[in-house]
Amino acid sequence: MISREEVLNIANLSKLYLDESEIEGAQKEMDGMISFADEINKIKADCENLPELGGINNAFHDDEIKKSCPQSKILENVDGGKDGYFYIKKFN
Amino acid sequence: MKYDLVVGLETHVELNTKTKIFCNCANKFGSEPNTNCCPICIGLPGTLPKLNRQVVNFAIKAALALNCEVSLVSKMDRKNYVYPDLPKAYQISQFYEPICKNGYIELDSGKKIRINHIHMEEDAAKLVYKSGDTYVDYNRGGVPLLEVVTEPDISSSEEAAEYLEKLQMIMRYIGVSDCRMQEGSIKCDVNVSVKPEGSEKLGTRTEIKNMNSITFMVKAIDYERERHIELIENGGKVEQQTLRYLPETNSTESMRSKEDAQDYRYFRDPDLVDIVLRKDQIEEIRNTLPELPDVRLKKYVNEFGIAEKEAMLLVKYKNVSDYFEKSIKGLKNAKTVSNFIIGQIFRSLETEAEKEEFKILTTPSQMNELVKLIESGKLNMNLAKKALIKMLESGKPVTEFVSESDMQGISPEEMKKLCEEAIKSNENAVKDYLSGKEKALKALLGCVMKQTRGRGNAQEIESMLKGLIR
Repeated sequence: MISREEVLNIANLSKLYLDESEIEGAQKEMDGMISFADEINKIKADCENLPELGGINNAFHDDEIKKSCPQSKILENVDGGKDGYFYIKKFN
Repeated sequence: MKYDLVVGLETHVELNTKTKIFCNCANKFGSEPNTNCCPICIGLPGTLPKLNRQVVNFAIKAALALNCEVSLVSKMDRKNYVYPDLPKAYQISQFYEPICKNGYIELDSGKKIRINHIHMEEDAAKLVYKSGDTYVDYNRGGVPLLEVVTEPDISSSEEAAEYLEKLQMIMRYIGVSDCRMQEGSIKCDVNVSVKPEGSEKLGTRTEIKNMNSITFMVKAIDYERERHIELIENGGKVEQQTLRYLPETNSTESMRSKEDAQDYRYFRDPDLVDIVLRKDQIEEIRNTLPELPDVRLKKYVNEFGIAEKEAMLLVKYKNVSDYFEKSIKGLKNAKTVSNFIIGQIFRSLETEAEKEEFKILTTPSQMNELVKLIESGKLNMNLAKKALIKMLESGKPVTEFVSESDMQGISPEEMKKLCEEAIKSNENAVKDYLSGKEKALKALLGCVMKQTRGRGNAQEIESMLKGLIR
Protein backbone atom coordinates (compact mmCIF):
# COMPACT_ATOMS: atom_id res chain seq x y z
CA MET A 1 0.00 0.00 0.00
CA ILE A 2 1.23 3.48 -0.87
CA SER A 3 1.63 5.51 2.28
CA ARG A 4 -0.05 8.80 3.07
CA GLU A 5 3.39 10.49 3.17
CA GLU A 6 4.29 9.15 -0.26
CA VAL A 7 1.08 10.54 -1.74
CA LEU A 8 1.70 13.94 -0.16
CA ASN A 9 5.28 13.95 -1.36
CA ILE A 10 4.26 13.15 -4.95
CA ALA A 11 1.50 15.78 -4.80
CA ASN A 12 4.04 18.30 -3.61
CA LEU A 13 6.48 17.44 -6.40
CA SER A 14 3.69 17.71 -8.98
CA LYS A 15 2.52 20.99 -7.50
CA LEU A 16 -0.95 19.54 -6.83
CA TYR A 17 -3.03 20.57 -3.86
CA LEU A 18 -4.88 17.68 -2.23
CA ASP A 19 -7.76 18.29 0.10
CA GLU A 20 -7.68 16.21 3.32
CA SER A 21 -10.71 14.28 2.05
CA GLU A 22 -8.92 13.41 -1.23
CA ILE A 23 -5.80 11.87 0.27
CA GLU A 24 -7.19 8.45 1.05
CA GLY A 25 -8.79 8.16 -2.41
CA ALA A 26 -5.52 9.12 -4.07
CA GLN A 27 -3.71 6.47 -2.04
CA LYS A 28 -6.07 3.78 -3.36
CA GLU A 29 -5.89 5.01 -6.94
CA MET A 30 -2.11 5.13 -7.00
CA ASP A 31 -1.96 1.70 -5.51
CA GLY A 32 -4.15 0.45 -8.33
CA MET A 33 -1.86 1.98 -10.92
CA ILE A 34 1.27 0.51 -9.42
CA SER A 35 -0.17 -2.96 -9.12
CA PHE A 36 -1.27 -2.76 -12.77
CA ALA A 37 2.39 -2.36 -13.66
CA ASP A 38 3.00 -5.63 -11.81
CA GLU A 39 0.32 -7.25 -13.97
CA ILE A 40 2.13 -6.11 -17.12
CA ASN A 41 5.40 -7.43 -15.80
CA LYS A 42 3.90 -10.91 -15.71
CA ILE A 43 3.51 -10.98 -19.48
CA LYS A 44 6.25 -12.88 -21.22
CA ALA A 45 6.83 -11.19 -24.57
CA ASP A 46 9.57 -10.79 -27.12
CA CYS A 47 9.94 -7.03 -26.91
CA GLU A 48 12.78 -6.88 -29.42
CA ASN A 49 10.64 -7.99 -32.32
CA LEU A 50 7.27 -6.45 -31.66
CA PRO A 51 4.98 -6.63 -34.65
CA GLU A 52 3.96 -3.34 -36.24
CA LEU A 53 0.80 -1.78 -34.76
CA GLY A 54 -1.82 -4.14 -36.19
CA GLY A 55 0.17 -4.22 -39.45
CA ILE A 56 -0.52 -0.56 -40.13
CA ASN A 57 2.13 1.41 -41.99
CA ASN A 58 2.46 4.44 -44.23
CA ALA A 59 0.16 6.89 -42.49
CA PHE A 60 0.94 10.12 -44.30
CA HIS A 61 -0.43 13.62 -44.53
CA ASP A 62 -0.68 15.32 -47.91
CA ASP A 63 1.56 18.32 -48.49
CA GLU A 64 -1.24 20.88 -48.42
CA ILE A 65 -1.28 23.87 -46.14
CA LYS A 66 -4.12 24.05 -43.62
CA LYS A 67 -4.80 26.99 -41.41
CA SER A 68 -2.50 27.32 -38.41
CA CYS A 69 -3.69 28.66 -35.06
CA PRO A 70 -3.70 32.40 -34.43
CA GLN A 71 -0.63 33.63 -32.56
CA SER A 72 -2.77 34.70 -29.61
CA LYS A 73 -4.11 31.14 -29.27
CA ILE A 74 -0.61 29.64 -29.48
CA LEU A 75 0.63 31.96 -26.72
CA GLU A 76 -2.51 31.65 -24.59
CA ASN A 77 -1.01 29.17 -22.14
CA VAL A 78 2.08 31.30 -21.52
CA ASP A 79 0.22 34.46 -20.56
CA GLY A 80 0.44 35.86 -24.06
CA GLY A 81 4.23 35.58 -24.38
CA LYS A 82 6.25 38.67 -25.25
CA ASP A 83 6.35 40.43 -28.64
CA GLY A 84 4.82 37.35 -30.26
CA TYR A 85 7.40 35.00 -28.75
CA PHE A 86 7.46 32.46 -25.99
CA TYR A 87 9.57 34.15 -23.40
CA ILE A 88 12.02 32.71 -20.92
CA LYS A 89 13.41 35.12 -18.41
CA LYS A 90 17.09 34.98 -17.59
CA PHE A 91 17.77 33.04 -14.43
CA ASN A 92 20.95 32.87 -12.41
CA MET B 1 55.62 15.19 -36.82
CA LYS B 2 53.25 15.41 -39.76
CA TYR B 3 49.53 14.95 -39.26
CA ASP B 4 46.56 13.87 -41.36
CA LEU B 5 43.36 15.83 -41.04
CA VAL B 6 40.17 13.78 -40.76
CA VAL B 7 36.83 15.50 -41.31
CA GLY B 8 33.27 14.22 -41.45
CA LEU B 9 30.27 16.39 -42.18
CA GLU B 10 26.68 16.22 -41.02
CA THR B 11 24.69 18.52 -43.25
CA HIS B 12 21.14 19.58 -42.53
CA VAL B 13 19.21 20.35 -45.67
CA GLU B 14 15.89 22.10 -45.16
CA LEU B 15 13.31 20.73 -47.57
CA ASN B 16 11.12 23.12 -49.52
CA THR B 17 7.86 21.28 -48.96
CA LYS B 18 4.72 23.37 -48.57
CA THR B 19 4.02 22.06 -45.09
CA LYS B 20 5.91 20.91 -42.02
CA ILE B 21 7.01 17.33 -41.51
CA PHE B 22 4.31 16.20 -39.06
CA CYS B 23 1.46 18.71 -39.48
CA ASN B 24 -0.16 20.88 -42.15
CA CYS B 25 1.25 24.21 -40.93
CA ALA B 26 3.06 26.21 -43.62
CA ASN B 27 6.80 25.62 -44.00
CA LYS B 28 7.65 29.24 -44.58
CA PHE B 29 10.64 31.44 -43.79
CA GLY B 30 10.24 35.00 -42.54
CA SER B 31 6.68 34.92 -41.10
CA GLU B 32 5.67 36.73 -37.92
CA PRO B 33 6.81 34.63 -34.93
CA ASN B 34 4.59 31.73 -33.86
CA THR B 35 2.07 32.17 -36.66
CA ASN B 36 2.79 28.91 -38.52
CA CYS B 37 2.01 26.78 -35.49
CA CYS B 38 -0.60 24.32 -34.27
CA PRO B 39 -1.01 21.99 -31.30
CA ILE B 40 1.10 19.32 -33.05
CA CYS B 41 4.18 21.45 -33.75
CA ILE B 42 4.14 23.13 -30.36
CA GLY B 43 4.00 19.67 -28.82
CA LEU B 44 0.78 19.88 -26.84
CA PRO B 45 -0.11 16.65 -25.02
CA GLY B 46 -2.56 14.39 -26.77
CA THR B 47 -1.59 15.39 -30.31
CA LEU B 48 -0.35 12.87 -32.85
CA PRO B 49 2.16 13.53 -35.62
CA LYS B 50 1.59 12.28 -39.16
CA LEU B 51 4.50 12.14 -41.61
CA ASN B 52 4.42 14.37 -44.71
CA ARG B 53 4.31 12.16 -47.83
CA GLN B 54 6.34 14.70 -49.80
CA VAL B 55 9.19 14.53 -47.28
CA VAL B 56 9.50 10.81 -48.02
CA ASN B 57 9.45 11.46 -51.78
CA PHE B 58 12.12 14.15 -51.44
CA ALA B 59 14.26 11.87 -49.30
CA ILE B 60 14.07 9.17 -51.97
CA LYS B 61 15.00 11.70 -54.65
CA ALA B 62 17.99 12.87 -52.62
CA ALA B 63 19.03 9.27 -51.98
CA LEU B 64 19.03 8.42 -55.68
CA ALA B 65 20.89 11.60 -56.63
CA LEU B 66 23.53 10.86 -53.98
CA ASN B 67 24.02 7.24 -55.07
CA CYS B 68 22.40 5.83 -51.91
CA GLU B 69 20.39 2.68 -51.30
CA VAL B 70 16.80 3.41 -50.33
CA SER B 71 15.59 1.36 -47.36
CA LEU B 72 12.35 -0.44 -48.14
CA VAL B 73 11.36 -0.22 -44.49
CA SER B 74 12.36 2.70 -42.31
CA LYS B 75 11.18 4.00 -38.94
CA MET B 76 11.06 7.20 -36.93
CA ASP B 77 12.82 7.49 -33.55
CA ARG B 78 12.82 9.91 -30.66
CA LYS B 79 16.01 11.76 -29.77
CA ASN B 80 15.65 13.03 -26.23
CA TYR B 81 17.12 16.25 -25.00
CA VAL B 82 15.71 19.07 -22.93
CA TYR B 83 15.96 22.55 -24.35
CA PRO B 84 13.36 25.25 -25.09
CA ASP B 85 13.73 24.78 -28.85
CA LEU B 86 12.06 21.38 -28.54
CA PRO B 87 8.60 21.65 -27.02
CA LYS B 88 8.21 17.88 -26.63
CA ALA B 89 11.68 17.51 -25.06
CA TYR B 90 12.50 15.13 -27.90
CA GLN B 91 13.14 15.53 -31.57
CA ILE B 92 11.56 13.10 -33.98
CA SER B 93 14.37 11.78 -36.13
CA GLN B 94 15.63 8.49 -37.57
CA PHE B 95 18.36 6.56 -35.83
CA TYR B 96 17.96 2.79 -36.12
CA GLU B 97 16.48 2.54 -39.62
CA PRO B 98 17.20 5.66 -41.68
CA ILE B 99 15.59 5.99 -45.08
CA CYS B 100 18.85 6.03 -47.10
CA LYS B 101 22.23 4.38 -46.66
CA ASN B 102 25.63 4.03 -48.32
CA GLY B 103 25.97 6.72 -50.94
CA TYR B 104 28.73 9.03 -52.10
CA ILE B 105 29.57 12.34 -53.73
CA GLU B 106 32.46 12.33 -56.18
CA LEU B 107 34.87 15.25 -56.02
CA ASP B 108 36.56 16.69 -59.13
CA SER B 109 39.71 14.76 -58.27
CA GLY B 110 37.71 11.52 -58.59
CA LYS B 111 37.84 10.92 -54.82
CA LYS B 112 34.57 9.66 -53.43
CA ILE B 113 33.28 11.05 -50.15
CA ARG B 114 31.13 8.26 -48.78
CA ILE B 115 27.74 9.05 -47.31
CA ASN B 116 26.97 6.82 -44.35
CA HIS B 117 23.26 7.57 -44.36
CA ILE B 118 20.59 10.21 -44.85
CA HIS B 119 17.77 10.55 -42.37
CA MET B 120 14.58 12.60 -42.08
CA GLU B 121 13.92 14.72 -39.02
CA GLU B 122 12.14 17.79 -37.74
CA ASP B 123 13.92 21.09 -37.22
CA ALA B 124 13.91 22.70 -33.78
CA ALA B 125 12.46 26.12 -33.00
CA LYS B 126 14.42 29.31 -33.43
CA LEU B 127 15.78 30.88 -30.26
CA VAL B 128 16.49 34.57 -30.07
CA TYR B 129 18.61 35.80 -27.17
CA LYS B 130 18.09 39.36 -25.98
CA SER B 131 19.93 40.68 -22.91
CA GLY B 132 20.11 37.24 -21.39
CA ASP B 133 16.44 36.41 -21.90
CA THR B 134 15.34 33.81 -24.42
CA TYR B 135 12.59 34.27 -26.99
CA VAL B 136 11.23 31.22 -28.79
CA ASP B 137 9.67 31.12 -32.24
CA TYR B 138 8.14 27.74 -33.09
CA ASN B 139 7.58 28.55 -36.77
CA ARG B 140 10.74 26.62 -37.60
CA GLY B 141 9.85 23.80 -35.20
CA GLY B 142 8.73 20.87 -37.33
CA VAL B 143 10.21 22.11 -40.60
CA PRO B 144 11.41 19.02 -42.51
CA LEU B 145 15.13 18.34 -42.73
CA LEU B 146 17.30 15.76 -44.36
CA GLU B 147 20.53 15.13 -42.53
CA VAL B 148 23.27 13.88 -44.81
CA VAL B 149 26.04 12.19 -42.82
CA THR B 150 29.41 11.41 -44.41
CA GLU B 151 32.08 8.96 -43.38
CA PRO B 152 35.27 10.66 -42.13
CA ASP B 153 36.64 10.66 -45.67
CA ILE B 154 37.42 14.35 -46.04
CA SER B 155 41.07 15.22 -45.60
CA SER B 156 41.29 18.98 -46.17
CA SER B 157 39.18 22.07 -45.71
CA GLU B 158 39.16 22.49 -49.52
CA GLU B 159 37.64 19.03 -49.92
CA ALA B 160 35.03 19.91 -47.31
CA ALA B 161 34.11 23.06 -49.24
CA GLU B 162 33.92 21.19 -52.54
CA TYR B 163 31.77 18.45 -51.02
CA LEU B 164 29.37 21.00 -49.56
CA GLU B 165 29.14 22.99 -52.80
CA LYS B 166 28.37 19.82 -54.71
CA LEU B 167 25.76 18.71 -52.22
CA GLN B 168 24.14 22.13 -52.39
CA MET B 169 24.15 22.03 -56.17
CA ILE B 170 22.63 18.55 -56.36
CA MET B 171 19.88 19.39 -53.87
CA ARG B 172 18.98 22.46 -55.92
CA TYR B 173 19.01 20.52 -59.19
CA ILE B 174 16.59 17.91 -57.90
CA GLY B 175 14.45 20.71 -56.47
CA VAL B 176 14.13 19.50 -52.88
CA SER B 177 15.74 22.52 -51.22
CA ASP B 178 16.73 26.10 -51.95
CA CYS B 179 19.90 25.53 -49.93
CA ARG B 180 20.19 29.20 -49.02
CA MET B 181 22.98 29.32 -46.48
CA GLN B 182 22.16 32.85 -45.36
CA GLU B 183 18.61 31.74 -44.48
CA GLY B 184 19.93 28.67 -42.74
CA SER B 185 18.30 26.25 -45.17
CA ILE B 186 21.58 24.35 -45.30
CA LYS B 187 23.71 24.02 -42.19
CA CYS B 188 26.66 21.91 -41.32
CA ASP B 189 28.08 20.23 -38.23
CA VAL B 190 31.75 19.54 -38.78
CA ASN B 191 33.65 16.75 -37.02
CA VAL B 192 37.38 17.36 -36.98
CA SER B 193 40.28 15.24 -35.75
CA VAL B 194 43.94 14.76 -36.56
CA LYS B 195 46.15 11.66 -36.52
CA PRO B 196 49.84 11.04 -37.16
CA GLU B 197 50.43 10.84 -40.90
CA GLY B 198 49.48 7.43 -42.28
CA SER B 199 48.18 6.13 -38.94
CA GLU B 200 45.05 3.95 -38.98
CA LYS B 201 43.75 5.05 -35.61
CA LEU B 202 41.49 8.10 -35.56
CA GLY B 203 42.22 10.88 -33.10
CA THR B 204 39.72 12.37 -30.66
CA ARG B 205 37.27 14.54 -32.54
CA THR B 206 35.62 17.83 -31.82
CA GLU B 207 32.39 18.91 -33.43
CA ILE B 208 31.80 22.47 -34.64
CA LYS B 209 28.09 23.15 -34.70
CA ASN B 210 25.85 25.02 -37.11
CA MET B 211 28.22 26.32 -39.73
CA ASN B 212 26.17 28.33 -42.22
CA SER B 213 28.88 29.69 -44.46
CA ILE B 214 31.39 27.75 -46.54
CA THR B 215 34.07 30.40 -45.98
CA PHE B 216 33.68 30.16 -42.20
CA MET B 217 33.58 26.38 -42.34
CA VAL B 218 36.94 26.33 -44.14
CA LYS B 219 38.42 28.71 -41.56
CA ALA B 220 36.96 26.75 -38.66
CA ILE B 221 38.42 23.46 -39.94
CA ASP B 222 41.85 25.01 -40.47
CA TYR B 223 41.73 26.59 -37.03
CA GLU B 224 40.73 23.34 -35.31
CA ARG B 225 43.40 21.40 -37.18
CA GLU B 226 46.10 23.75 -35.89
CA ARG B 227 44.63 23.76 -32.39
CA HIS B 228 44.59 19.94 -32.20
CA ILE B 229 48.16 19.66 -33.50
CA GLU B 230 49.42 22.27 -31.08
CA LEU B 231 47.73 20.52 -28.15
CA ILE B 232 49.22 17.15 -29.07
CA GLU B 233 52.69 18.57 -29.76
CA ASN B 234 52.69 20.17 -26.34
CA GLY B 235 51.88 16.88 -24.66
CA GLY B 236 48.22 17.72 -24.15
CA LYS B 237 45.08 15.85 -25.16
CA VAL B 238 42.20 16.83 -27.39
CA GLU B 239 38.98 16.78 -25.45
CA GLN B 240 35.86 15.45 -27.12
CA GLN B 241 33.48 18.40 -27.14
CA THR B 242 30.99 20.45 -29.08
CA LEU B 243 32.25 23.81 -30.25
CA ARG B 244 30.96 27.04 -31.63
CA TYR B 245 32.96 28.95 -34.25
CA LEU B 246 33.51 32.66 -33.60
CA PRO B 247 34.09 34.50 -36.90
CA GLU B 248 35.17 37.75 -35.20
CA THR B 249 38.25 36.15 -33.66
CA ASN B 250 38.56 33.17 -36.03
CA SER B 251 38.55 30.74 -33.14
CA THR B 252 36.29 28.20 -31.48
CA GLU B 253 34.78 28.05 -28.01
CA SER B 254 33.29 25.18 -26.09
CA MET B 255 29.49 24.82 -26.00
CA ARG B 256 29.31 21.59 -24.02
CA SER B 257 31.09 18.29 -23.69
CA LYS B 258 30.12 16.18 -26.66
CA GLU B 259 27.16 13.87 -26.35
CA ASP B 260 27.30 10.32 -27.55
CA ALA B 261 24.33 8.51 -28.99
CA GLN B 262 23.50 6.90 -25.64
CA ASP B 263 23.05 10.34 -24.08
CA TYR B 264 20.07 10.93 -26.32
CA ARG B 265 18.24 7.75 -25.26
CA TYR B 266 17.05 7.09 -28.78
CA PHE B 267 14.01 4.88 -29.04
CA ARG B 268 11.38 4.08 -31.60
CA ASP B 269 8.62 6.71 -31.73
CA PRO B 270 5.44 4.80 -30.92
CA ASP B 271 3.30 7.60 -32.41
CA LEU B 272 4.52 6.95 -35.94
CA VAL B 273 4.11 3.83 -38.04
CA ASP B 274 6.70 2.24 -40.34
CA ILE B 275 7.45 3.71 -43.73
CA VAL B 276 7.24 0.86 -46.22
CA LEU B 277 8.31 1.53 -49.79
CA ARG B 278 7.86 -0.48 -52.97
CA LYS B 279 10.62 -0.86 -55.54
CA ASP B 280 8.42 0.41 -58.38
CA GLN B 281 7.63 3.53 -56.36
CA ILE B 282 11.35 4.22 -56.04
CA GLU B 283 11.90 3.61 -59.76
CA GLU B 284 9.09 6.01 -60.57
CA ILE B 285 10.89 8.72 -58.61
CA ARG B 286 14.19 7.81 -60.30
CA ASN B 287 12.53 8.59 -63.64
CA THR B 288 11.72 12.11 -62.50
CA LEU B 289 15.35 12.95 -61.68
CA PRO B 290 16.75 15.71 -63.90
CA GLU B 291 20.17 15.62 -65.51
CA LEU B 292 22.60 16.14 -62.63
CA PRO B 293 25.32 18.81 -62.55
CA ASP B 294 28.23 16.40 -63.02
CA VAL B 295 26.68 14.97 -66.17
CA ARG B 296 26.05 18.44 -67.53
CA LEU B 297 29.57 19.58 -66.72
CA LYS B 298 31.09 16.67 -68.65
CA LYS B 299 28.79 17.38 -71.58
CA TYR B 300 29.68 21.08 -71.67
CA VAL B 301 33.41 20.40 -71.60
CA ASN B 302 33.62 17.33 -73.80
CA GLU B 303 30.85 17.93 -76.31
CA PHE B 304 30.61 21.72 -76.48
CA GLY B 305 34.29 22.49 -75.96
CA ILE B 306 33.63 25.00 -73.19
CA ALA B 307 36.57 25.61 -70.85
CA GLU B 308 36.11 23.77 -67.57
CA LYS B 309 36.20 26.91 -65.46
CA GLU B 310 33.39 28.45 -67.48
CA ALA B 311 31.41 25.23 -67.68
CA MET B 312 31.51 25.08 -63.90
CA LEU B 313 30.05 28.56 -63.67
CA LEU B 314 27.16 27.53 -65.93
CA VAL B 315 26.48 24.36 -63.99
CA LYS B 316 26.78 25.96 -60.57
CA TYR B 317 23.39 27.62 -60.84
CA LYS B 318 20.54 25.41 -61.98
CA ASN B 319 18.52 28.24 -63.52
CA VAL B 320 21.54 29.35 -65.55
CA SER B 321 22.22 25.84 -66.73
CA ASP B 322 18.56 25.32 -67.65
CA TYR B 323 18.55 28.62 -69.57
CA PHE B 324 21.73 27.61 -71.39
CA GLU B 325 20.26 24.21 -72.32
CA LYS B 326 17.13 25.81 -73.75
CA SER B 327 19.08 28.50 -75.63
CA ILE B 328 21.46 26.20 -77.49
CA LYS B 329 18.85 24.11 -79.32
CA GLY B 330 19.87 23.80 -82.98
CA LEU B 331 23.02 25.88 -82.60
CA LYS B 332 26.39 24.86 -84.06
CA ASN B 333 28.38 26.55 -81.33
CA ALA B 334 27.00 26.45 -77.81
CA LYS B 335 30.10 28.29 -76.66
CA THR B 336 28.74 31.59 -78.00
CA VAL B 337 25.79 31.34 -75.61
CA SER B 338 28.13 30.44 -72.77
CA ASN B 339 30.26 33.51 -73.55
CA PHE B 340 27.21 35.75 -73.59
CA ILE B 341 25.97 34.41 -70.26
CA ILE B 342 29.29 34.61 -68.45
CA GLY B 343 30.72 37.64 -70.25
CA GLN B 344 27.67 39.84 -70.49
CA ILE B 345 24.70 38.66 -68.48
CA PHE B 346 26.64 37.82 -65.30
CA ARG B 347 28.00 41.37 -65.27
CA SER B 348 24.58 42.68 -64.32
CA LEU B 349 23.95 39.95 -61.74
CA GLU B 350 26.21 40.78 -58.86
CA THR B 351 25.21 38.59 -55.97
CA GLU B 352 25.15 34.82 -55.74
CA ALA B 353 21.42 35.03 -55.07
CA GLU B 354 20.84 37.00 -58.28
CA LYS B 355 22.80 34.47 -60.29
CA GLU B 356 20.92 31.66 -58.59
CA GLU B 357 17.61 33.27 -59.46
CA PHE B 358 18.76 34.29 -62.97
CA LYS B 359 15.82 36.56 -63.65
CA ILE B 360 16.59 38.14 -67.02
CA LEU B 361 14.30 39.67 -69.61
CA THR B 362 15.77 37.92 -72.67
CA THR B 363 14.13 34.54 -73.20
CA PRO B 364 16.09 31.46 -74.28
CA SER B 365 14.42 31.55 -77.70
CA GLN B 366 15.44 35.20 -78.17
CA MET B 367 19.01 34.25 -77.25
CA ASN B 368 18.79 31.37 -79.71
CA GLU B 369 17.63 33.70 -82.47
CA LEU B 370 20.50 36.11 -81.80
CA VAL B 371 23.15 33.40 -81.95
CA LYS B 372 21.60 31.88 -85.09
CA LEU B 373 22.05 35.25 -86.84
CA ILE B 374 25.72 35.21 -85.87
CA GLU B 375 26.18 31.63 -87.01
CA SER B 376 24.61 32.30 -90.39
CA GLY B 377 27.08 35.16 -90.89
CA LYS B 378 24.34 37.75 -91.01
CA LEU B 379 25.38 39.54 -87.85
CA ASN B 380 28.87 40.15 -86.61
CA MET B 381 29.90 39.76 -83.00
CA ASN B 382 30.20 43.47 -82.38
CA LEU B 383 26.68 44.26 -83.36
CA ALA B 384 25.40 41.15 -81.62
CA LYS B 385 26.94 42.22 -78.33
CA LYS B 386 25.47 45.69 -78.65
CA ALA B 387 22.08 44.26 -79.51
CA LEU B 388 22.25 41.89 -76.54
CA ILE B 389 22.72 44.79 -74.14
CA LYS B 390 19.53 46.37 -75.46
CA MET B 391 17.72 43.04 -75.49
CA LEU B 392 18.56 42.47 -71.83
CA GLU B 393 17.31 45.92 -70.92
CA SER B 394 14.03 45.66 -72.79
CA GLY B 395 13.14 42.01 -73.20
CA LYS B 396 12.62 42.66 -76.92
CA PRO B 397 13.95 40.37 -79.70
CA VAL B 398 17.16 41.05 -81.63
CA THR B 399 15.24 42.15 -84.74
CA GLU B 400 14.19 45.29 -82.86
CA PHE B 401 17.76 46.49 -82.62
CA VAL B 402 19.47 45.53 -85.86
CA SER B 403 18.35 46.72 -89.28
CA GLU B 404 18.31 44.78 -92.52
CA SER B 405 21.45 46.58 -93.66
CA ASP B 406 23.23 45.71 -90.40
CA MET B 407 22.55 42.10 -91.13
CA GLN B 408 23.95 42.21 -94.62
CA GLY B 409 27.49 42.35 -93.38
CA ILE B 410 30.12 44.10 -95.38
CA SER B 411 31.76 43.06 -98.64
CA PRO B 412 35.57 42.75 -98.93
CA GLU B 413 35.56 45.42 -101.63
CA GLU B 414 33.72 47.89 -99.45
CA MET B 415 36.01 47.12 -96.56
CA LYS B 416 39.10 47.68 -98.67
CA LYS B 417 37.70 50.98 -99.86
CA LEU B 418 37.05 52.18 -96.32
CA CYS B 419 40.53 51.16 -95.22
CA GLU B 420 42.15 53.04 -98.05
CA GLU B 421 40.14 56.14 -97.19
CA ALA B 422 41.19 55.91 -93.56
CA ILE B 423 44.86 55.61 -94.49
CA LYS B 424 44.59 58.62 -96.77
CA SER B 425 42.99 60.90 -94.22
CA ASN B 426 45.20 59.88 -91.28
CA GLU B 427 48.70 60.37 -92.55
CA ASN B 428 50.15 61.06 -89.15
CA ALA B 429 48.83 57.84 -87.71
CA VAL B 430 50.31 55.92 -90.62
CA LYS B 431 53.67 57.54 -90.04
CA ASP B 432 53.55 56.74 -86.37
CA TYR B 433 52.69 53.14 -87.10
CA LEU B 434 55.52 52.82 -89.60
CA SER B 435 57.93 54.24 -87.04
CA GLY B 436 57.02 51.41 -84.71
CA LYS B 437 54.07 52.71 -82.71
CA GLU B 438 51.72 49.73 -82.81
CA LYS B 439 49.03 51.71 -81.05
CA ALA B 440 48.64 54.09 -83.96
CA LEU B 441 46.94 51.32 -85.89
CA LYS B 442 44.07 51.39 -83.39
CA ALA B 443 43.20 54.94 -84.44
CA LEU B 444 42.90 53.79 -88.05
CA LEU B 445 40.86 50.78 -86.98
CA GLY B 446 38.49 52.98 -85.00
CA CYS B 447 38.02 55.17 -87.99
CA VAL B 448 37.07 52.24 -90.25
CA MET B 449 34.81 50.67 -87.63
CA LYS B 450 32.94 53.92 -87.34
CA GLN B 451 32.35 53.99 -91.07
CA THR B 452 31.05 50.38 -91.07
CA ARG B 453 28.71 51.25 -88.18
CA GLY B 454 30.06 48.30 -86.30
CA ARG B 455 29.35 45.78 -89.03
CA GLY B 456 33.00 45.08 -89.76
CA ASN B 457 35.13 42.45 -88.11
CA ALA B 458 37.89 44.20 -86.18
CA GLN B 459 40.48 41.47 -86.76
CA GLU B 460 39.86 41.35 -90.50
CA ILE B 461 40.05 45.12 -90.78
CA GLU B 462 43.24 45.24 -88.77
CA SER B 463 45.01 42.74 -90.98
CA MET B 464 43.74 44.49 -94.09
CA LEU B 465 45.10 47.83 -92.79
CA LYS B 466 48.48 46.28 -92.05
CA GLY B 467 48.60 44.80 -95.54
CA LEU B 468 47.71 48.11 -97.19
CA ILE B 469 50.20 50.21 -95.24
CA ARG B 470 53.08 47.95 -96.16
